[in-house]
Amino acid sequence: MHPRSATLIAFCDAEGRAGRSLRIARHLSKCEKCRDQLARIRREKDELSARAAAPEMENGQGLAAVRSAIAAWQEGRNGEAASELRARLRWQIEAYFGSPAALAVDRPSRAEEMLGKASEMLEVFLGPEAAEAVRDDVFRGVDWAAPAGEACR
Amino acid sequence: MTRKSSLEGIESAPRWIFLFLGAYLIVHLFALYFWNAAGHVFSIEGTSGGTSALSVTAMAAVGFWLCLLVLRSFPAGAPLRPAWMLITFAAGAQAASGALAQLLGSNWLLNPLAWGGPARSGLIEQIRRGALIAGGPFQLALLALGMLVALKVLRKFGFWVRPSAADWAICAIVYLFALCRFGEAGAASLAGRQFGFEDWISLAGLPILCVLFLEAMLLRQSVVHMGNGLISRCWAAFMCGIFLTGAGQLALWVIPHYSHAWPIEMIASLIQFATVAVFALAPACQVAAQRRAIKPASDQPEDLATNVPALAR
Repeated sequence: MHPRSATLIAFCDAEGRAGRSLRIARHLSKCEKCRDQLARIRREKDELSARAAAPEMENGQGLAAVRSAIAAWQEGRNGEAASELRARLRWQIEAYFGSPAALAVDRPSRAEEMLGKASEMLEVFLGPEAAEAVRDDVFRGVDWAAPAGEACR
Repeated sequence: MTRKSSLEGIESAPRWIFLFLGAYLIVHLFALYFWNAAGHVFSIEGTSGGTSALSVTAMAAVGFWLCLLVLRSFPAGAPLRPAWMLITFAAGAQAASGALAQLLGSNWLLNPLAWGGPARSGLIEQIRRGALIAGGPFQLALLALGMLVALKVLRKFGFWVRPSAADWAICAIVYLFALCRFGEAGAASLAGRQFGFEDWISLAGLPILCVLFLEAMLLRQSVVHMGNGLISRCWAAFMCGIFLTGAGQLALWVIPHYSHAWPIEMIASLIQFATVAVFALAPACQVAAQRRAIKPASDQPEDLATNVPALAR
């Protein structure tokens, strides 16, 4: 008598009792049809395993893509914020010191450097409280985060 | 951060000072014109002397108060605090000098020292001399030191520029004036002429005025290099104040050499008031700039991004 498919699947997964597995193994050695069915079960099982592994890989790639997209979006947004920040700083320096001073402060290529220099100037000539208020006004509504480890005040 | 919003109207202090200065100049120039047109039929000196001195003292007191406000905004260790401290002392010396000279250093009815009779007249004279020193060389020396500290700070930020040929030329005029004054004083003492205490005090202030003028020219270059902002106007006002001090002394020395008909005391009080007002304008501009910065920006849109934690940005 041929074993049922479920029994063969259990045998394949080594889930059966030891005595029963021995019996099935003895039958398989004599029955070519059951051997073919077991081979088919194993093949299908491998295919299923492969299919299960494939989406995992795709998920990993997707996560990396999402991460890089977020980084690119953040860089772009920071760039926009940095240019907005520069414009505001230039305006403030122009109001408190004048256009030549604003041009002198605007020389550094990075927004952080400009912010540092402008903050120092405002703090020295305007006093710390007023300088902090100006900084607050400059940052108002600007979603800008200074790169880690860089002092901007 | 909680912003202090007291003294809301103080940012208009420069405008008020300009208004008073303009009104004062217009009234006095009109009086001068009327006096000249009427053919000098009345004494213009006697009617304006006391009022002018009180106006100068009042404006000096306003300048001192504004300087104190500025000084309070610079905590210990701030680079400009020593400069503002010296400037405040200079303004205080000028205000105290005016008050002492007017209230205790003159023989007027409400001076309690004058009630004691001739015995107290020596004390009154000493107070008057002390007031002259405080409002003269002492005030100028403090101002010169303050400007020196300020110039050092301006130099640190790259605003310091060498004086131009025009600056040197203006300085040369003041140096020449100082030399002439010293030469005149030397000639007078050689001729055995009496030299008053006021003249000695005025001479003592001349070398300091020369130093101040050089500083003013450096300040002018720094302000030109800085631009026309609110803070720049503060330092420009100091520069104008020093320039007016020198120009006033020069004018008061030159006019009697050409004409004795001019009411020199009235011109002196006009120059003094203008100088004191311009000096008061400097801290007023600084205070205005500070108030403008710390004024709550209620008309600006609320920053929604500030509620987002920094990590989430």
